[in-house]
Amino acid sequence: MKETIKNTTLADRLLFLLLISLSIAGIFISRDALSQGSDVIIEINGKPSYTLPLYSDRLLSVSGPHGNTLIETKGGKVRVKEAHCRNQICVKEGWISKGVIVCLPNKLVIIVGGSKKDQQQGIDAITG
Amino acid sequence: MKKYKAYLLPFLLLCMLLSSCSANRLSAYKKSKALLDTFVTITVVAASQDMADKAIEDAFDIIEKFGDLVNFYSDKSELSAINRNAGIREVRVSPETLDIIEKALFVSEKSGGAFDPTIGPEIKLWDFLKKVKPSDAEIRKNLPLVNYKNIIIDRTKSTVFLSRRNMLLDLGGIAKGFAADLAVQSLKQKGISSGLVAVAGDIKAFGLKPDKKPWIVGIKNPRQKSNDDEIIARVPLSDKAISTSGDYERYFIMDGKRFHHLLIPKSGYPANTCQSVSVIADQGVMTDAFSTAFFVLGPERGLGLAKEMGMDVMIIDSKGALHTTPGLQGKLTIERNH
Amino acid sequence: MQLQDKRRVAILSAYALALHGFESLLPTPIPWLKPGLANIITLVALILYGFRTALMVTLIRVLLASIFIGTFLGPAFILSTGGGIASVIAMGLSVKFFKNLFGAIGLSLIGALFHNIAQLSLAYYLFIQRIEAVFIISPFILLIGSLTGIINGVISDILIKNLLKINDEKIQNVAQ
Repeated sequence: MKETIKNTTLADRLLFLLLISLSIAGIFISRDALSQGSDVIIEINGKPSYTLPLYSDRLLSVSGPHGNTLIETKGGKVRVKEAHCRNQICVKEGWISKGVIVCLPNKLVIIVGGSKKDQQQGIDAITG
Repeated sequence: MKKYKAYLLPFLLLCMLLSSCSANRLSAYKKSKALLDTFVTITVVAASQDMADKAIEDAFDIIEKFGDLVNFYSDKSELSAINRNAGIREVRVSPETLDIIEKALFVSEKSGGAFDPTIGPEIKLWDFLKKVKPSDAEIRKNLPLVNYKNIIIDRTKSTVFLSRRNMLLDLGGIAKGFAADLAVQSLKQKGISSGLVAVAGDIKAFGLKPDKKPWIVGIKNPRQKSNDDEIIARVPLSDKAISTSGDYERYFIMDGKRFHHLLIPKSGYPANTCQSVSVIADQGVMTDAFSTAFFVLGPERGLGLAKEMGMDVMIIDSKGALHTTPGLQGKLTIERNH
Repeated sequence: MQLQDKRRVAILSAYALALHGFESLLPTPIPWLKPGLANIITLVALILYGFRTALMVTLIRVLLASIFIGTFLGPAFILSTGGGIASVIAMGLSVKFFKNLFGAIGLSLIGALFHNIAQLSLAYYLFIQRIEAVFIISPFILLIGSLTGIINGVISDILIKNLLKINDEKIQNVAQ
């Protein structure tokens, strides 16, 4: 075993150090990126069609069977600002920073990403 | 040493063959769909994605068909037909609709009217998004329409009759739990031995996860302030359902007071002795309806009724204190930040 | 290929396959993250018997393993094949152009690195379209890949030394 370690060339050792440091750096960088990013996923007819960053101020118009639906993100929350469906259930939901808003007539689903914390802590579902 | 070398290869090859025999690796598969005006997520443990997909899609179908029967907002539903004919005539309904209404009546009676599906006319007066609070007079005016005893059922004819005009039957406080029960029943019939159905916050779990541990459900913190304190406690579910009613789901605050959607049927005003109530029992239809009932009854009476019904309950009262039935001792894990 | 070469490839492939099978029986907390012990065989084959042998051993191992385990033509198969080919080519080129620069450990690290790069790229293009997910798991995979690369490199080194010793002994015996 010792013989093998002596047998390592300079290049071997440099390469090892390089890879280890790159990957550790990478872990820290991705950790940072994780806590900032949270996405709003908009599904139309069951297919993810748009992704908006949650932490942005944006208005998005989505067309559907009942006209255009206006989706707004602001200050880490998202809501359906305007919709032309009959019951306006989606509009009545108001702002959410987590969870789902559904507009069945427009076949629209707005999903704000589940917290990674839940998965880490081993929770399979949330009631409440 | 040389002798053993000869056996190394055959041994390792044997391991290779053995590993190819473990074809029945069970995994958990999850799928979501928008149904019943909310988000439904079904997780099943199966041997392949295919098997899981088929079982889940069938369960989604069942939920959708049931949803069409009791959709408050659709003119085509049997529920709307009942409401349209309030005070006029009885309406013939499917067995599922009759079943859920009978169960709603059961909970209404047991809770002394704390849960009352005829609360429709009162709920309509409020708008939690636009912060509209009805006047005391308006609330009083509709109170006579709220009385579960005016639901007349004829089992032999399979009909439902609301005996006063302008009565409104709203099954929103019991339909999701019922749907979860239907879904689980469907999954079991398709041969699934373990899974979890979440119809928004009404959840039913059966069997064990692939790691042989029970499904874990987190209970939402009614006064969540940040991403970190979303869950206030967690509990394992072994072939049980859980539902939660809370004052934070639909509400607004006016002049420092919170007005939310869990109204006391006898007064028309929001019940204010609890922040949230989580109920664990065998059937989702019961946990859904009773969580509303216990919320309205308040911590003491709610806990008392829960014990009488043999259900487990966790109540967070208006001051944020936790009350639980003895059955939850040792099973409930309160999260660290509390 | 001569008979001796064919025999060699066959036996090496068998060992590689066996190691893979043995490894897949070991309990792991993370299913897709494995030490890749079969790569030891690939590296040893490369250094002692050349690029062609190493490539054939890798391809045979990946193919047969997927058939036995039942993932043939599935996503796992595509990832294994891509990773295996990339790693053998990378190591082969390193041996050819940087002959004395890297020892067994360095070569093993290079092999592991390119194996992972190929797998992550394939996974992204074919399966997981979300680049953020790939970015997030890449550092972990590279880190673990480097560590297993070292371990495999050490074992390869020991094996190579022992095999060379046996060869020398054989030659000496014959010479006597």
